Amino acid sequence: MADRFFTKTHEWVRLEDDSAFIGITDYAQKELGDIVFVELPSVGEKLTQFSRFGTIESTKAASELYSPLSGEVTEVNNDLVNHPEWVNQDPYGKGWMVKIKVDNRDEIANLLDEATYKNLIEKEA
Amino acid sequence: MKEKIIFQKSQKGRFTDYVTNPQISIFPPSHFIPQKLLREDLNLPSLGEGEVVRHYTNLSRLNYCVDTNFYPLGSCTMKYNPKVNEDLANLEEFLHIHPYQKEEDIQGTLELLYNLEKLLCEITGMERFSFQPSAGAHGELTGMLIVKAFHSLKREKRFKVIIPDSSHGTNPATASMCGYQVVVVESTKEGLVDIDKLRKLMDSSTAGIMLTCPNTLGIFEEKILDIREIVHRQGGLLYYDGANFNALLGITKPSLMGFDIVHLNLHKTFSTPHGSGGPGAGAVGVRKDLVPFLPVPLVDKKNDYYYLNYDLKHSIGKVRSFYGNFPVLVKTYAYLLRLGKEGLVRVAHNSVLNANYIREKLRDNYQLASSKRCMHEVVFSCKDKKEEYGVTALDLAKRLLDYGIHPPTMYFPLVVKEALMIEPTETESKETLDYFIEVMKRIDQEAKTKPSVLKDAPHTTFTKRVDEVSAARNPVLKWEEYGE
Amino acid sequence: MPYILNTPSQIKEMLEVVGLHSLEELFSHLPPSVRIKGHLSLPSGLSEEELIRVVKRLAKKNKSLSNFNSFLGGGIYPHYIPSPLNHLIGRAEFYTAYTPYQAEASQGILQAIFEYQTYICLLTGMEVSNASLYDGATSLAEAVLMSLRIKKRSKVLVCESIHPEYRATLRTYLKGFDFLVEEIKFNRYGFLDLDILKEKIDDEVACLCIQSPNFFGLIEDLESISEVVKGKEILVILVTNPVSLAILKEPAKLGVDIVCGEGQILGRACAWGGETFGWLATKRDYLRQLPGRIVGKTIDREGKESFCLTLQTREQHIRREKATSNICSIHSLNAIAGAIYLSLLGKEGLKKVALYSLNLAHYFYQCLQDIKEIKLVFPSSFFNEFVWQVNDSYQVWEALYRKNIIPGLILEKFYPQLKDCILSSCTEIKTKEEIDDFVRCLKEVIR
Repeated sequence: MADRFFTKTHEWVRLEDDSAFIGITDYAQKELGDIVFVELPSVGEKLTQFSRFGTIESTKAASELYSPLSGEVTEVNNDLVNHPEWVNQDPYGKGWMVKIKVDNRDEIANLLDEATYKNLIEKEA
Repeated sequence: MKEKIIFQKSQKGRFTDYVTNPQISIFPPSHFIPQKLLREDLNLPSLGEGEVVRHYTNLSRLNYCVDTNFYPLGSCTMKYNPKVNEDLANLEEFLHIHPYQKEEDIQGTLELLYNLEKLLCEITGMERFSFQPSAGAHGELTGMLIVKAFHSLKREKRFKVIIPDSSHGTNPATASMCGYQVVVVESTKEGLVDIDKLRKLMDSSTAGIMLTCPNTLGIFEEKILDIREIVHRQGGLLYYDGANFNALLGITKPSLMGFDIVHLNLHKTFSTPHGSGGPGAGAVGVRKDLVPFLPVPLVDKKNDYYYLNYDLKHSIGKVRSFYGNFPVLVKTYAYLLRLGKEGLVRVAHNSVLNANYIREKLRDNYQLASSKRCMHEVVFSCKDKKEEYGVTALDLAKRLLDYGIHPPTMYFPLVVKEALMIEPTETESKETLDYFIEVMKRIDQEAKTKPSVLKDAPHTTFTKRVDEVSAARNPVLKWEEYGE
Repeated sequence: MPYILNTPSQIKEMLEVVGLHSLEELFSHLPPSVRIKGHLSLPSGLSEEELIRVVKRLAKKNKSLSNFNSFLGGGIYPHYIPSPLNHLIGRAEFYTAYTPYQAEASQGILQAIFEYQTYICLLTGMEVSNASLYDGATSLAEAVLMSLRIKKRSKVLVCESIHPEYRATLRTYLKGFDFLVEEIKFNRYGFLDLDILKEKIDDEVACLCIQSPNFFGLIEDLESISEVVKGKEILVILVTNPVSLAILKEPAKLGVDIVCGEGQILGRACAWGGETFGWLATKRDYLRQLPGRIVGKTIDREGKESFCLTLQTREQHIRREKATSNICSIHSLNAIAGAIYLSLLGKEGLKKVALYSLNLAHYFYQCLQDIKEIKLVFPSSFFNEFVWQVNDSYQVWEALYRKNIIPGLILEKFYPQLKDCILSSCTEIKTKEEIDDFVRCLKEVIR
């Protein structure tokens, strides 16, 4: 998928016109194990690239979530409050976390494409 | 059989009669207190003595404990808890004392604390101790607030604290509670503090270092004198996390290693029981020039009269109400008197020997986290087993339950993947260790041949593997069906 | 060799396995300069019999409460402890176990704590309770830290009528930060001064800390206080006596957000203030900011109801410097004792404890009212303790003490403005004879 980009901290972003969906990668959900809690920002909050926008917890770990791009939060996947397991089951689909209105598409240059990200996780493993 | 929740046993009309009727007229609460501040109903269960006794006795039987099982829980020092200590702590003259009684009523209490302090000072090389801190982490908080007060009295702005990546989680949490920024120093692949990295990190804006020695890999920090030099040269202080002091009793003192502040977990090294998670005690000792910063009061003596001394010039204040967990301190004192100087060295010898014996016997079956000789505990990694057979440290730990052994600490220290941290303690016999070793080897075989036995473990406990994920996803934290 | 099982020949055998010749060699890699030369300068060990003799000799130097007609309270209270309680707590399966990390081997501890959490919620009307903290003072400090995290504000309002040692502890706990602690004076009736409270409220206040019954025993009008802070985004933190909750309205129904206090009152000995546990309960909204362990209900592989430690990502072993507190070991055994106490007393028993404590204290108050040299300092809406004043209080106190009466706590040390004031307390174990005896002796002493 050419419109999907990644961070070194294992978030993905999918662009759709001037908006973007954000979540964590399949590799990240596997590493974390069963997700039990996701803390997300509110609609209207401004995110800057690589800044913290929430936390994700398994029973044994808590990790920060970092935004791949700058922008204003326009939608939050509130279903994750009751269904954190969706992040495990479908990290790129039902497990999406926030939707933002993208400020600056040039920031994409700071992200990894699919092939580079794959390389990165192979090294980490 | 599953023990019902106590609230399910309530029977309307049943009651106990412990409370004596006073020989005065009794008025309802509304006679004294405005009605709007009174409650309508008190929704507690109505039970009888026999069933309450049976309930808690049956609950107790669902637990593993030191008195029933080998309990090699790393970093927790689950040694035998001498029974005589319990008897002494429960003496009426110690237990039935109000904290606001006069000093002359509590001369025995004060003398005991005075004596105990002297013993701990000799053991650690510190000048004075405070007994107020009520747990290890509480001792850390006390100690680090002293660090903070020490630097701020000198008007030095130090905002960072260095903590090794192998540290107990309480260390960084404590530093944060004291308003410090945590700087992590990495370990070498042998699990020791990386001296070169420490040298780069330590500067004049750093308040000091919090260090566990032997560290959480069970390894003695051989470069401790270099660490002391690096930290002291920049004006920092060395804080000794004495959760793991068992191996060093009578061998070395924190003062000789260069530490300025020490906390001791009296419920670990000094044999007072853990009580399912407390009460413990985290006595804090300091070098001479830090004494004025200790919490108030200290116990002092004048003409054979013991008194509470509140006159400490730079005291950080109080860290809890009253004076500390006194019964725990009685048990500590009794333990030290019983063991004496020779007994303490024997503790160190046998705790280190026991751990090294396990290390040697299991090193072919389990991957060692460090090639260095261990002290009171040994850490293995099950990373290879996870990769090869798909069984985790957790699976292994749960399987131990089937053999009547309480699992070691798992997944800690964080620097070791799939860690199993084994602390046998000195009070276990070679026979017990041999049984444990045999079981661990058997489990290793099982991991290879029938991993599902591990994955489904435990099989023999009344409660099978517990679903921690749904507990966290949907927290049920009280008996909801009851009342309202 | 007390408590060591390895025999000399086993030690030799084990050393061979390790590849060493002596126990000393286990430490050969330590820098020589850190080693102790010879032995510690400590005495040699005692036999068990000698040990008992030595420690009992110390104990005999104490004069326990049994020697006195005591009216001491002020945070630690002697209540009757039913005999089964200490037998149950004395079960090794409770007292020699560690924190219940391994749920399958700790179901009894976990269920007992789950029941404890339920009891605390029933008493307070709150939705969630943790598994205990160290004592009342540190539970207040933790509650305040919680409120500062929740509100992200910088100011704390604290009533001066909160236990002085709790306030001192709170000040220590806040030393690492630049938070501002402002004390609110009590009015001439001993209650929180609502006018001062109104003046102190601003946008930086995270919480208001009150105690009720307060340190003088007085029951604060929480309803009116909550009314004042309503809509100001300020959390109300209440310190209270859990026995008083048998008759007082649930704090949750009075606008309180976090309620905490001392647990010794529920079935633990006075023990010089050393057999405590802190308890703390709050609303579900603040669950993730709770400090310390929490037990949750779940199921095992076979679908059976079971229990485990939960929401551990709040805690230090996972979140390290970002944890809600550094607390690790709590005071479980004392908390379990609290649950057993409540089970043994039950609904009717606990109500009686509260009702009799209340009535005895008021009977005592009435008796003092008839003595013209005694001034009852504050009004009579107190629970089980109150403040009275007498000229030359120190001498009066001493004179009564010589008659084996401990009249109570002299307040001047904590409150210089309360000169010659004494705080006296009654629990259900006080008898009419003891109170009458006190009154008779008091009259003798002052006349």
